[in-house]
Amino acid sequence: MHYDVIVIGAGHNGLTAATALAQSGRKVIVLEKRELAGGLAASEEFYPGFRTQGLLQETAGVRPSIITSLGLRNRGLQLRGEEAGSFVPEPDGPGVHLFRDAARFTSANPTLADEEKKAYHEFREFLGRITPFISTVLNQTPPPITDKGTEGAWTLLKTGISLRALGRDTLHELLRIGPMCVADFLNERFKSDALKVGLAAPSIHGTFLGPWSAGSVATFLLREAAASKSVVGGPAAVTRALLASASEAGVTLRMNAGVRRIRVSGGSVLGVALDNGENIDAMIVASACDPKRTFFQFLEPGNLPDSLSEQIRIIKMRGTTAAVRIALEKPLTFPGRPEMTPEEILTGKDIDSLEKAYDAVKYGEMSEVPHLAIKVPTLSELDLAPKDKHVAEVLVHFAPYHLKGGWNEAARNELGVRVFKVLAGYCPEFESSVIAKEILTPVDFEERYGLTEGHIHHGEHSLDQLHTLRPSVDTSRYRTPIEGLFLCGSGSHPGGGITCAPGAMAAEAIKNT
Amino acid sequence: MSTVYDAIIIGGGHNGLITAAYLAKAGRKVLVLERRHVLGGAAVSEEIYPGFTYSVCSYVVSLLRPHIIRDLDLPKFGLDIIPLNASFSPLPDGDSLCRWDDAARTRREIARFSPRDAEVAPEFSRAMAQISRFVKPIIDGPAIDPASMGPEEALRLLKLGRRFRGLGKDNMVRFIKMMTMSASDFLDEWFESDVLKAPMSVSGIIGTFLGVRSPGTAYVLLHHYMGEIDGAFRSWGFSRGGTGMVSEACAGSARHYGAEIRTQAPVAKILMSGGRATGVVLENGDEIRGKIVASGVDPRRTFFGFVGEDNLDPEFAKQISHYKLRGSSGKVNFALDRLPEFKCRPGSEHLHGDIAIAPSVDYLERAYDQAKYGEFSRRPYINAVIPSLVDPTVAPPGKHVLSCFVQYAPYNIKEGASAWPEKREAFGDTVVDTLAEYIPNLKDIILHRQVITPWDMEQDFGLTEGNIFHGELSFEQLAFLRPAARWSHYKTPVRNLWLCGSGAHPGGGLMGGPGALAAEAILSSGECR
Repeated sequence: MHYDVIVIGAGHNGLTAATALAQSGRKVIVLEKRELAGGLAASEEFYPGFRTQGLLQETAGVRPSIITSLGLRNRGLQLRGEEAGSFVPEPDGPGVHLFRDAARFTSANPTLADEEKKAYHEFREFLGRITPFISTVLNQTPPPITDKGTEGAWTLLKTGISLRALGRDTLHELLRIGPMCVADFLNERFKSDALKVGLAAPSIHGTFLGPWSAGSVATFLLREAAASKSVVGGPAAVTRALLASASEAGVTLRMNAGVRRIRVSGGSVLGVALDNGENIDAMIVASACDPKRTFFQFLEPGNLPDSLSEQIRIIKMRGTTAAVRIALEKPLTFPGRPEMTPEEILTGKDIDSLEKAYDAVKYGEMSEVPHLAIKVPTLSELDLAPKDKHVAEVLVHFAPYHLKGGWNEAARNELGVRVFKVLAGYCPEFESSVIAKEILTPVDFEERYGLTEGHIHHGEHSLDQLHTLRPSVDTSRYRTPIEGLFLCGSGSHPGGGITCAPGAMAAEAIKNT
Repeated sequence: MSTVYDAIIIGGGHNGLITAAYLAKAGRKVLVLERRHVLGGAAVSEEIYPGFTYSVCSYVVSLLRPHIIRDLDLPKFGLDIIPLNASFSPLPDGDSLCRWDDAARTRREIARFSPRDAEVAPEFSRAMAQISRFVKPIIDGPAIDPASMGPEEALRLLKLGRRFRGLGKDNMVRFIKMMTMSASDFLDEWFESDVLKAPMSVSGIIGTFLGVRSPGTAYVLLHHYMGEIDGAFRSWGFSRGGTGMVSEACAGSARHYGAEIRTQAPVAKILMSGGRATGVVLENGDEIRGKIVASGVDPRRTFFGFVGEDNLDPEFAKQISHYKLRGSSGKVNFALDRLPEFKCRPGSEHLHGDIAIAPSVDYLERAYDQAKYGEFSRRPYINAVIPSLVDPTVAPPGKHVLSCFVQYAPYNIKEGASAWPEKREAFGDTVVDTLAEYIPNLKDIILHRQVITPWDMEQDFGLTEGNIFHGELSFEQLAFLRPAARWSHYKTPVRNLWLCGSGAHPGGGLMGGPGALAAEAILSSGECR
């Protein structure tokens, strides 16, 4: 068989790249190892009759421009009119219900001190001033910093000009906070512990950082700059729309088609060899798998230049996230706000409790009291569970891939026990409501989703692994030193999470060759 | 009280004295006011125990800028720097690593732990030296403000960009990584042996409230190599007679050029008139007039203590209140009856430089984790020196001084900073116990010990929150942001008030950069003509 482009992996980025390329007239095939498309954005049945919306939870990062260019709205994709908001419960208080919309935040938290509300308004106003610049950078292919050519200098100059357009004080403030830790950043502005937890927690998800680690403001800004409206039906709905769009554009999709090798000759790609021995030919292969898997597993070692091999070897992708899916009789409710059934919940007493949860992974241990990011998708998508029953999808931070003593049944159970203990501490009725659970460790992530070291972002989001250095200096523009081999997954700029941006930008790079 | 000085310098630390010397050398009439009875600030030698001279706080000369030594003719006024020629790290298992000033010898030591690391080491040093050459002009000039619209600044920025490109791809990438990574992660890219990585990584945490795994600590690795390229000037080392001699030499130079220096002259307030600084009021009520006032004291104390928040623009006051000075270290000085014996390596040749209690990266990180939650480390990182081995003037024959920098000792302990005096001896005991694990005879040979907690540094030396660098050396407080955006060029929003201490670019340490650059800025402003 011969195709113009082979895309490895039918996750959201692979499907995005494939569809964009097929729409430009190329003959494209997507090869997926699993029997199920979607990767981390795939709905999975974890107990008879109970399904998730995907391993990841957020969809607010999906780029509106990609929704438009791929025509996803016409394929059933709907955006939520209103934010679900994330709720940070307090054991002895009303908690804080966080919304990006400052007015909504104010009305949702009537008991919060006025000065906190005022500070939050100012905070949002400040973010509104700087995030447009950051999203411009995120939506540009990183410039070739090391080339002597004019393109890098030109992009740099443009970036420099738009930076200066922020005005001197805003620019100073951006440069000041950029390298800071999110704890200091928030402590300068807020007093409420629950509020600070709600803002700080997402900036350490999928990182090897705690809220006291410098650089965590950068991950905070990265997420804020990418946020727009989220998708009705969550990650799985993004996948459904992408599949429909791909099929309409003529993309061939093959499931159960694990790639064994990317075939290379004389420094150029010839195609791939599948696990079943079959060869598929194409001049262009785009891998949505992580860079370590792409370069170290799919390529023969001899095909990899030494300098590139070293660049890929040192990519940090220490998985720190686990997941628990729970089938429930009732949604989660919290005594401090009995009238509310929140869809999204973030746990943690204060900044230090998030830091303590992080401390553990440095020594190869799982958190004693993990921080949980919980989604109850059945509150808005009823048919994920039997009538009146519910699902809680829990992402657990932190659980190290490299667990001291290794992941075994006992460690897995211990993880479940710790997660349940946290939940029971907030919702007294939680345990009596549990029907079933599934626990996924970082090692399970690796086996099931093909994520090296179980890393949900295909490489840590840290300042040294973003932009022109993501995933490495010679591969940051989607192209690789191997002719015809491209990267199109979360390991590339602008990184992980369900944004579809790496896939779309890789497709652009491929079209420009 | 009729004399009007051209410049009044608050604080007779090394930076204040350097500013004074430069201004006096340029013909200005200068007065230095020091609160204590002795000059030097944190760079001070004192005979705390009869016959023994302690470098009470700062204990090694790091990166003292060679041009300052030259301009102020410091050797003529007593400056004599003895190079540190080894860095010794004992290990709990009875082994040890010593890095020597002889590269081949160091490589052989490293090879015992990892032949691969020994092989990589020269390439690492080469890369670090090349990057240091790029960085050095940044610390030797005023901070470049990328947000400034001025053509001169834009030109300097452009030049910096061109020099950056000149580094070549590999070093460009390394430089970006050093600016963003943790020391531990950065070293992981190069080396495999924890025994080597741990003592190398600690340079990134000294005087910060960060751990070796905290991003933003890698760049300090360059400091070591910057010292090396200063080369002939031996800018890393002991000062003969203790670090106080650095200050004494600066004072000698300043006096030589006509500066007047008063000790036991604590300043209470900066005199303000019509929004400008016109002099100072001493604690005894004396008023002294000056055309300008330059403060070698940290920004928090300068603006909130001496100027007063009422006299500040609220926006600027907010910037200064956000300026972080969380002290994280203590100092313990010992008078010893004999030379300490390390059980892992007898003899003394390896003790002529510094000694690092940094047996593993996890050890250092655990020390940090305890401090984060408001406790001093139960097993701290210790950087110790025995200056009496190379400088016989600091102890009687056969006796020794052991000077220990200890991290972490957070200023803000759980019980509140003022509870430190009750914990002082427990802290000292922790240091002794930690060292005794490596030096079995230590407890038997201690004649005297002086324990300095961050609280003591604040009370006795005027360092706000006990921060030895007058403000944390984290990126958000460096270069054009030190101590505050728009005010990184020594000038302050209070007219005729200048900063000349470690709270200004290029920051803390015994390097003198802020003092010299402040003098240059003051002179070119024409304010004290």
